Amino acid sequence: MLSPTTRIEAGMDVLAASKGLTETNPMNNTNQRMHNPSEVIISVECLTKQVPALDNPSGGMLDILTGVELEIKSAESVAIIGASGSGKSTLLGLMAGLDQPTDGDVVLAGKKLSDLDEDGRASLRGDEVGFVFQSFQLLPGLTALENVMLPLELQTKATARTEAVSLLERVGLADRLHHYPRQLSGGEQQRVAIARAFVSQPRIVFADEPTGNLDKKTSQHIIDLLFEMNSEKQTTLVIVTHDENLARQCGRCLTLENGKLLNDVAGDE
Amino acid sequence: MIKHFLLAAKLLLRDWHSGELKILLIALLIAVASMTSVGMFTQRINLAMTDQAGQFLGADLVLRSPIEIDVSVIDYAKRLDLKNTKSIHFSSVIVANDEFQLTHVKAVDKNYPLLSHIKISKKQYGEERAVTDGPGKGEVWLAPRVFSILGIELGDSIELGESKLVVTAVLKHDPGQASSFMSIAPRLLMNRHDVEATGIIQPGSRVTYQVGFAGDLSKRKQFEKWLNPRLTTSQKLIGGTEGSQALNSAMVKAEQYLSLASMLSVMLSGIAIAMTANRYGQRHYDQSALMRCMGASQKTVIQIFSMQLILLGAVGSLAGCLIGYLTQEGLVVLLKEFLSPNLPAPGIYPLLTGFISGFVTLAGFSLPALLRLKSVPPLRVLRKDISPLPASALLVYGLAMGSMIGLMWWQSGQLKLTLLVVFGVLVSVVLLFVLSLLLIMICKKLLDYSMARSISGAWKTGLQQIVRHRKENQLQMLAFGLSLMILMIIFLLRTDLISRWQQQLPDMAPNHFVINIQSYEVEAVKTFFTQHGVQTEGVYPMVRGRVTEINGVSVLDAVPEKSKLDEALKRELNLTWGNKVQENNQLLAGQWWQPGDKAKPYISIEKGLAERLEVTLGDSLSFKIADRTITATITSLRSVQWDSFQPNFYIVFPDGVINTFPVSYISSFYIDKSQKKLLNDLIKKFPTLTVLEIDAIMEQVKSVMEQVTTAVEFVMLFVLLAGMMVLVASMQSSMDDRVQSAVIMRTLGAKKSFLRRSQFAEYSLLGFLSGLLAVSGTEIIAYLLYNRVFNLDFEIHTWLLIIGPLISIILILMISHLYTKKVVQQSPLKVLRYS
Repeated sequence: MLSPTTRIEAGMDVLAASKGLTETNPMNNTNQRMHNPSEVIISVECLTKQVPALDNPSGGMLDILTGVELEIKSAESVAIIGASGSGKSTLLGLMAGLDQPTDGDVVLAGKKLSDLDEDGRASLRGDEVGFVFQSFQLLPGLTALENVMLPLELQTKATARTEAVSLLERVGLADRLHHYPRQLSGGEQQRVAIARAFVSQPRIVFADEPTGNLDKKTSQHIIDLLFEMNSEKQTTLVIVTHDENLARQCGRCLTLENGKLLNDVAGDE
Repeated sequence: MIKHFLLAAKLLLRDWHSGELKILLIALLIAVASMTSVGMFTQRINLAMTDQAGQFLGADLVLRSPIEIDVSVIDYAKRLDLKNTKSIHFSSVIVANDEFQLTHVKAVDKNYPLLSHIKISKKQYGEERAVTDGPGKGEVWLAPRVFSILGIELGDSIELGESKLVVTAVLKHDPGQASSFMSIAPRLLMNRHDVEATGIIQPGSRVTYQVGFAGDLSKRKQFEKWLNPRLTTSQKLIGGTEGSQALNSAMVKAEQYLSLASMLSVMLSGIAIAMTANRYGQRHYDQSALMRCMGASQKTVIQIFSMQLILLGAVGSLAGCLIGYLTQEGLVVLLKEFLSPNLPAPGIYPLLTGFISGFVTLAGFSLPALLRLKSVPPLRVLRKDISPLPASALLVYGLAMGSMIGLMWWQSGQLKLTLLVVFGVLVSVVLLFVLSLLLIMICKKLLDYSMARSISGAWKTGLQQIVRHRKENQLQMLAFGLSLMILMIIFLLRTDLISRWQQQLPDMAPNHFVINIQSYEVEAVKTFFTQHGVQTEGVYPMVRGRVTEINGVSVLDAVPEKSKLDEALKRELNLTWGNKVQENNQLLAGQWWQPGDKAKPYISIEKGLAERLEVTLGDSLSFKIADRTITATITSLRSVQWDSFQPNFYIVFPDGVINTFPVSYISSFYIDKSQKKLLNDLIKKFPTLTVLEIDAIMEQVKSVMEQVTTAVEFVMLFVLLAGMMVLVASMQSSMDDRVQSAVIMRTLGAKKSFLRRSQFAEYSLLGFLSGLLAVSGTEIIAYLLYNRVFNLDFEIHTWLLIIGPLISIILILMISHLYTKKVVQQSPLKVLRYS
């Protein structure tokens, strides 16, 4: 397993960008939220998700997840792997409060999601959660900087710009601040997305196939950056992936099959 | 809230930079600019015409009453700083040298006229000069022909009732003459103070009391508002263009057209806004989902998008108002020659209307699309296929229709026209929808045919595209067809309206009436005109008679309450006879008399009078003519073009019924200014004739027509722009998919030339089909509008069948070229990345 330092060395463009930046990043030490490593930050209780079966209009239901139970501690890095259609992304969506389960519950950062309405869950996400997506999900009409500023602007933070610039510098995009997503490569777009995920100082970052749209070399750079940021910010990282290499680098690896949790093993770390 | 406002502003600005908002804003700009400029331009022309009409009336407003006007009315006008002038009108015989002459007496006070001037002369046929005061005490001014009839000269005295008054000037023209130019007796102008001494006005005398008012427009409006509910049924307030029927009729049509055009440009802009807002909304689903992911509540999301809407509305409406203002100012400068030199400044009202309308249009048409953004589930960030539930159809259409009807009604003040337009458009949409289904089916058959015969090529690909994306194409055809249809209707109406006006007032339209031609003079007068090369519009007999009974019942008992004070019942009507229907009359019901009907007691009645008296075919009317009564049956109803400047009659008899009654003849003719001297010769030769000079009012009507034609052309430009916006918006809404499939085809090896050809085929087909739809809709709506609103003759425009689809093809090819050229010209990779 690579150490955080060797991971930086492995990503050439990230390396170039990050040299010296760890010292200048004002958020590294000052704005860091307190994390208690033994605290359970996500607790999944008997989670079940069913959807209407499209091929059975008479009202049959299709099980996507069945009775999933798990706990994730603060600052852990957890990979969720499984074949396509095994329910990985559904589980991630439910844990992040993006969707509601048919049965069971999720406790996220101490709050039971079933007790919250949609706006309550949104507010919790705003405070505690960051996202990285397979298709980057950058807003095409906004520049790299504006995309990263958006979460802070929604929280009406006055320092949105400085913090976003700082994060973009941190991910090696100091010279791409005013580029639109279409003017950036896939790797660069994902770095913008990572900066955006971390900019609001979340305690948890969910990543859905963060390297799914990238080539091998770029994927490695992105993985390194993700872990590096995770380690710097002491966030909890939950990654849904097909990428075994990425899964191995996580502290824990959960395997889903047909909507059921099959394995829960420690990673290579 | 304020911070969200700032964020909304920032996001809006960012969207602007990325080009997302341009079409939306341009559509809004066009809507507002069209509303404000049309509103201001029409208002200015209206004001100018009211001013001009004021010159003819001698006052901005005139109140007519059969009894003396209450002093409270004048007091209120004084309080509003409105100037006033009181006059008394009556008919009386004057006597001089043992000769008698009936005159129309107008007794005026020292303020007369409030506007314009009186033209007098010191010789019967001498040069005229303008004066701004009426005759002094003890003086009278007389129309030229009275001098010949009575054998008097200036300085002589005449007897009027018990008074003797000195004739001090020849009265050539006095304001207000235009409004009653059909009164036959020559005019006499005198001082109001002398009326009492004449002893003519006794209880029961037929007298009209008149007060003219002039002053600031807003004060006048306030005065009108105050006065209208206080008027008795026999009192009438005249203002604006009401003094002249021809002017009024032209103006009403012009205003209707301008309202219609403005409404349609608003409607088209609304459609463009709805389409772009829908696309804008769809393209922001991801943004909304992301914002929800990042913790924004539904309230925050809706606040942000609503604020964007408000900001966009404010910026668009303000800029639209400015553009509208500048456009109409520019137009006024450009068209200086055609417009009145004293065009009043535009008021603030159209600006305000435009500004508010901008918001209403934007909200009405884009709110449903934006409201959907609120309910985008955050899960969309993981699953792109999840979209918000569509807004309820009631909300979407209800809001759009509600705001549209409200706006159109508010803007035009014409509920009938508004409802007719809305109904017409709805019917067209349904009709076009059915037609488009049919056309797509035909395309499908053609495609099957070409498949069965293994025909290949660009046209087949084009057909395939049309059939494959039938839903999208059908919608596009509908949007395209509808906007083309609106453009065509506006164009057709404009052409037919203008040509109607030109027909109505050709260059040689009669501008003088001659009345009181005696039977024995008819031939001599005709010869006089022929000798001098003057063309007349025919000489018509005229017998004066009063309607006394309807179906044997006294007329006042027979007619409905509201018609008891009808002008046609209060005075003697001019009756005529003839064998043919007059050229500008149209037979609407019944039959015109046959040769065998000679001397039969039949009548043809004007439709409007028949309606007011509630009589129809088969009813009988009795007339008191001289000391006899004659009863006749209605055998036909006619429409009369009152604004034709030709002798027109309510009632026409067949030859041989009223010929034995005292008759005089009437004719109308054209002479230009340089031939005016001819009038003196005519009067000298036939001293009993009365010549009514209506050339001044004709000039005014012509100038109004010219100004209104300019306005009509100008409004059409805006409708055209708005229509283009819809075309662009509808094209844009499907362009993403089209570009995508074109790029994939290129990636798969399609040659540029093949793509060009297949795109050409697809868009030509789409254009052709939309054009066909538009032409069909146009003919139906035009038929309704021509018959129900504008009273124009409708004929099917066959040339449209070729021109319509052709224009549609050209337009669609042009717009699609803007969007698709990059697909063909650039590398597929570049396009993929940017699209």
